[in-house]
Amino acid sequence: MPKRTTTIDLATTPVRRANELIRQHGEAGEDVEILNPDARHHIGVGLTAPIKVAIRGSAGYFCAGLTDQARFEIDNNVGWGLGDNMYSGSVVVRGNAGAIAGVAIRGAELVVHGNMGSRAGQVMKSGTLCCVGNANFMAGYMMYGGRIIILGDSGQRVGEDMTGGEIFVAGKVQALGSDAMLTDIAAGEADDIDEFLDRYGIPSRGRGISKIVNAGQKLHYGTQEEQVRSLPFFTYSGDSAYWNPKVQEDIHVKSQIGRYRIRGYGAARPLPHLADLAFLADLSRAGEDPDVVSKVHMQTEIGGLNGAEPLKLSMPVMIAPMSYGAISRSTKQAVAMASAMADIAENTGEGGMSDAQRDAAKQLIFQCLGGRLGWNIHDMKRADGLEIYISQGAKPGLGGQLMAKKVTEELAAIRGIPAGIDLRSPSRHPDILGADDLVIKIEELREATGYRLPVSVKLGAGRVRDDIKIAVKDGFDFVELDGMQGATGAGSAEVIDYVGIPTLPAIVEALEALEEIGRRQDIQLVLMGGLRDGIDAVKALCLGADAAAFGTSVLIAGGCIACMQCHVGQCVTGIATQDPEHEKRYQPAVEAMNIHRFLETVRWQIAAITNGLGYEDTRQLGRDDLVAMTPEAAAITGLPYEPDHRSLLDT
Amino acid sequence: MSVYDLQRIKMPEPPAGSSDDTRDPHFVPAPCQVACPVGTDAPSYIALIWEGKYAEAFEAITATNPFSSICGRVCDAPCEPACRRTDSDGPLQIRNLKRFIMDEIGHSCDPPPVAVTRPQSIGVVGAGPAGLTAAHDLCVAGYTVHVYEMSDRLGGLMAWGIPAFRLPGGVIDEDIKRLTDKCEGLRVHLETALGRDVSLDQLKQRHDAVLLSIGAWWGKPMDIPGEDHPQVVDGVGFLRRVNAGERPSLPESVVVVGGGDVAMDACRVARRLPGCEQVKVIYRRGPEEIPARRIELEGALKEGIEFIYHTQPIGVEARAEGSLGLRCIATTLGEPGENGRRQPLAVPGSEHEIECGMVIAAVGQKGVCEELDTLNMMLADRVRADFGTMRTADPMVFAAGDGAFGGSTIVMAMHHGQRAAYYISAFLEGHDRPLPYRTPYRTRQVEVAQDMMWERLAVQHPEFLGLGDKPVEFPEIETTYDGATARKEAARCYRCDAETGTPDYSVRHREDLFSMARMTPADGAKQVAMLQRRLEPSENPFPDERPPQFDDLVFLPANLSRLVIDPYREACTSSFDIGGRLKLEHPFVVSGFGNSPAEVRDAVARGLADTHSAYLGPRPLPSRYSVPWLQLLVDKESAPSPEAAALLLVVAGHSLPIQAPIRVAEGQLLGLAISSGSVLEEAISCALEEGLDLLLLDGAAAGMGSDYGAWPELAGAPDLRLLRDAVAILRRLGREEAVDLVYSGGVRSGTDAAKLVGLGAVAMVMGVSAGLAAGGRIVGDTLVFDADLSGDDRAQSIANLIKASTGEATMMARCCGKTDLHNIEPEDLRALTLATSESTGIPLTGKRTV
Repeated sequence: MPKRTTTIDLATTPVRRANELIRQHGEAGEDVEILNPDARHHIGVGLTAPIKVAIRGSAGYFCAGLTDQARFEIDNNVGWGLGDNMYSGSVVVRGNAGAIAGVAIRGAELVVHGNMGSRAGQVMKSGTLCCVGNANFMAGYMMYGGRIIILGDSGQRVGEDMTGGEIFVAGKVQALGSDAMLTDIAAGEADDIDEFLDRYGIPSRGRGISKIVNAGQKLHYGTQEEQVRSLPFFTYSGDSAYWNPKVQEDIHVKSQIGRYRIRGYGAARPLPHLADLAFLADLSRAGEDPDVVSKVHMQTEIGGLNGAEPLKLSMPVMIAPMSYGAISRSTKQAVAMASAMADIAENTGEGGMSDAQRDAAKQLIFQCLGGRLGWNIHDMKRADGLEIYISQGAKPGLGGQLMAKKVTEELAAIRGIPAGIDLRSPSRHPDILGADDLVIKIEELREATGYRLPVSVKLGAGRVRDDIKIAVKDGFDFVELDGMQGATGAGSAEVIDYVGIPTLPAIVEALEALEEIGRRQDIQLVLMGGLRDGIDAVKALCLGADAAAFGTSVLIAGGCIACMQCHVGQCVTGIATQDPEHEKRYQPAVEAMNIHRFLETVRWQIAAITNGLGYEDTRQLGRDDLVAMTPEAAAITGLPYEPDHRSLLDT
Repeated sequence: MSVYDLQRIKMPEPPAGSSDDTRDPHFVPAPCQVACPVGTDAPSYIALIWEGKYAEAFEAITATNPFSSICGRVCDAPCEPACRRTDSDGPLQIRNLKRFIMDEIGHSCDPPPVAVTRPQSIGVVGAGPAGLTAAHDLCVAGYTVHVYEMSDRLGGLMAWGIPAFRLPGGVIDEDIKRLTDKCEGLRVHLETALGRDVSLDQLKQRHDAVLLSIGAWWGKPMDIPGEDHPQVVDGVGFLRRVNAGERPSLPESVVVVGGGDVAMDACRVARRLPGCEQVKVIYRRGPEEIPARRIELEGALKEGIEFIYHTQPIGVEARAEGSLGLRCIATTLGEPGENGRRQPLAVPGSEHEIECGMVIAAVGQKGVCEELDTLNMMLADRVRADFGTMRTADPMVFAAGDGAFGGSTIVMAMHHGQRAAYYISAFLEGHDRPLPYRTPYRTRQVEVAQDMMWERLAVQHPEFLGLGDKPVEFPEIETTYDGATARKEAARCYRCDAETGTPDYSVRHREDLFSMARMTPADGAKQVAMLQRRLEPSENPFPDERPPQFDDLVFLPANLSRLVIDPYREACTSSFDIGGRLKLEHPFVVSGFGNSPAEVRDAVARGLADTHSAYLGPRPLPSRYSVPWLQLLVDKESAPSPEAAALLLVVAGHSLPIQAPIRVAEGQLLGLAISSGSVLEEAISCALEEGLDLLLLDGAAAGMGSDYGAWPELAGAPDLRLLRDAVAILRRLGREEAVDLVYSGGVRSGTDAAKLVGLGAVAMVMGVSAGLAAGGRIVGDTLVFDADLSGDDRAQSIANLIKASTGEATMMARCCGKTDLHNIEPEDLRALTLATSESTGIPLTGKRTV
């Protein structure tokens, strides 16, 4: 029996409503025909049913994006981001496709009968992208797997920085990209291509097709850096010697390996910090009331400003994003369990979402990065919040970095990449080259999830004053603002120490900028990066943050010893490792309880201070509760400089 | 104290005069040190073993432990279960490492003797670990101490209670000799028992204070019918006979009752004696509850001893042919009793009999002393005393050890001895209410072992020998590490005591977080203490003494407001043509090897040639390599060389008016080298007038001397104001592009270079950094090239440093969104300190800029 086909006319139905209808028809197993698409964006996004969607005209950005199983036909052209992150299913475009067609696909089949724009198949993981016409520059840019078939000419720099997969070019190979090379095509491969073309009714181009693969020059660092245990920080900070032991060690190592050093963890030297502030009031009796936690209102909702279902936090605290990859699955599980016990939100970080983590966490934010590693529609739908990662405090400008030791088969599978490479994630999103691209990206995510989830942005602190204005203009529900004291599993040591601004000026700049444009009420701020306890959290709230997030301190509560060797992948405590022999040292149930007790102590501290300052609600905390203890902190925050404050209180 | 209790959050004052480092902001005693009743600085001695510094390790071990050799063999080692690595892949074998050192040098290290300096004397009754430790500490404090021991040797239960297969006699002698040699004020009275040979009154008359450390010398009875049978003996008595040298023949089958350390020793001794074929241990609780140390229990099991749990004896009956019937009953565990342990409950109807030839009862010990009993100074089984002050009811009389506070361990007895010595000293010095005693914690601040295997090395177990070939001779049950094994084990240490490499998670913060993760909101006192501790103001990260420097500048990354250039894969140009003519692939010029050894100069030249880099100095590097030379004309007498790619005339502070150098070969670049702000205006105006190509700005701390073979950068942080002022002058004149600025002084990395580009320089001089890469070692204000390196190594290192630095510099540029290093601008930088902000003109982070 032929399927029923329903017609939706975009001349009369808004896209948001149309997408809801498409999903409903999908669930009912009914095919859909779209009339008058007029190049509207996001047509069909979020569809996860095996129906056919025929688009009678041209589609705009992200057509068929974030879908699984559906079959799309577009009579005319499509805009950029065709089939974004598409799992199974297919798309046939009769006309041309814009840039990044097939971006991040994970199994879908995409056929473009005309030409396709630049960077087609960027960061794709598997599936086939076929272009009957010519490709523009950098087709297969940073692709991790799958197959691109270009029946016309390749365009410039084809296969630029590809990691895996194959690119077949029937026309002219105009110029190979970095770390790409030509290789012989196997007999079976040509037959496979013909079989594919035949299936989509495209005539075979016969033999003589060129094949392009990764050349293997950049997948691994040439020389391994000798592992060195950290020097005590005071030997190279404060008033220590200029040519101190750390400087000498750096020069020694770099003169051995000929490249920058890599390490894990956050800032290795003292920076202006919330610890440079003190509370104005006398808190020497704070917490004497044994029942103080019940006397302070701490419940905090984050993310609901634009109509999404907010995260409901039992206190203004969240877990900072940390990836499964940088840290072990057991650790992610322990953190998730503890977050659920404390009733706060956990965050997936870059590495994708596991069932164990989803089940353990009560509220879970799903993070979307430029490499789209582990990103997919199914996990989006079971998340409680979405987050677009722009950068992180530890290494803004650098993508995620996972040394080969940690890129196991299992981890590679969840990320959709080859195992055993020194993974260096892209620094940018394929589809976010400017601030206005973000507006459309956010809209795509909201369309795909029915506007149910808060959408946030993770931002490493840099030009916060400018960036925060862009974030609010783009319509994010909240910002996770990460100062340079934030940590990482691996990154260039120099970037960790010298790129970005500290957490303290970050929050100050963010608030001032929002007030400058009168939009403080339009976005929420979660501050992170080197926060360690309830005292730091309360100071963040005083300075204007809506919540504080803890990353490293949660790991320490769960057994991390701060040896800063995360990048090596042999973590002695079983946290920052993917080696099963090391991971089994970590006991998730035990450490979950430790982390839970830490979070409950944080809660107690927040309550004790808030109460000690004379308030009943954390939302009453304000800048006037603070003074600065150092000249720098005073200059940065504009708070009164009171270095003798503490001793004055004591006397 | 336990590792995470209130005292660790709010550490009490250390006892007066003790060596204690807990006020050091970069030190927190490690869990192993805290768990040790005598506060042994285990992390230090472990690290010293890794370094091969055995004498220093010996010092750390013995500093608070007069029985280190004994402890190396038989310490209860509470440090090991406290070790953080226990939760990971097994604790550090701290005791075995101690044993290694004591075996290695314990017999030969004799600390200098300590003389008597005080008039008072103390009488100590009993020469066990508590009494002798007190005697040791009091002698070290200068007192005379008379020890009265009822047996014929020193050591107490260490000498009488532990069999030689665990603790050979020679090991005991080693500690005793070291102690008696050291303590000049020590007088020993053997075979002198309290009540028999001397009375308490006599002791009080002879001495200014008396310490009762009488021990728990006697076995407790099982209190069951039939236990007076001659084949029923008590465990300590049995061990005493054996330690006196006897090797009695035993019946074929022996049952040991009890689950403590005496039971373990007794069963293992029985197993080794002639005639004995089978040994069973019966214990009234289960394997989880048995108090014996894990290692003793495992040793007994390996030696074939059978354990029968949940069984309690209820009577002994004599059987025919000298055998015994030990009547027993099965037990289950009930509710916890007063001591917190679950009480065994008899299972009705479970009576049964175990047949054997001998029963050894090891169900506890007691102190006995008729004299003290008569004086009403005894409880049922020990001296009546207060642990808080170590005093008895008699103001002159103190008490310590098992005989006062119940059966414990050697190391706990030593702690008692130390406490007692502290309170006795305070009493003798007339302090009525001394500060409560706590164990002092020292650190020797040993560097963390740089062992690349530290995360991977598994626990190193000594070889277990068990009964050996001739069990009755009591050969030792396990071996001592060899040096290589000891070093491997030492490498495993986390170094929980050591300061971390990150101030935000310094050792203090980390330990606080660990404590926070081990307390609940119900722990009110701990929460309050932790809150107050966390509210304490932190140290100013930027003390006044800190000079302005590169480290206090940061880059503003491209985020939303700019497009980041992928530092892993996208191109960024770093080359620059100085004066439009001298092309540098890398933004670095190397300098400073004027007086260096010829082979070093040669290697540096090769490294520079390989990277197409230039050299700056009064004389060129060896000419067989093609290295562009920027000649420094140090004074007016210096002859310009036609070989030089550039001529730079050094402008001394007083050499006004400035005369530009004169070209002696076609295409030569011309410039001035300036190290003083006072000549900057004149130098710049000269450069602009004469159309010079470059200005070398030298901010090296020691300034540019005439001797360019020295390393003036070593004097400290460079002066950044020179570059700030030069750029300001050029900007004022509207001639910023007219002359290229090259900066010299304190450049260590590509990051420094990128910052200098942001501040206005186009290339940077690497002096000391290049010297360090070439194998130089900083000695005072110069570099010494005494490393055993080949020319190839040195050349490669120089080239690597330059490449790595360029990589870093362009990485910074890309993070800032630049495709050319030289596009970094002041706006890409922020200062972290006011001083650096002032010196560079870069605004402070967070501050509103217009």
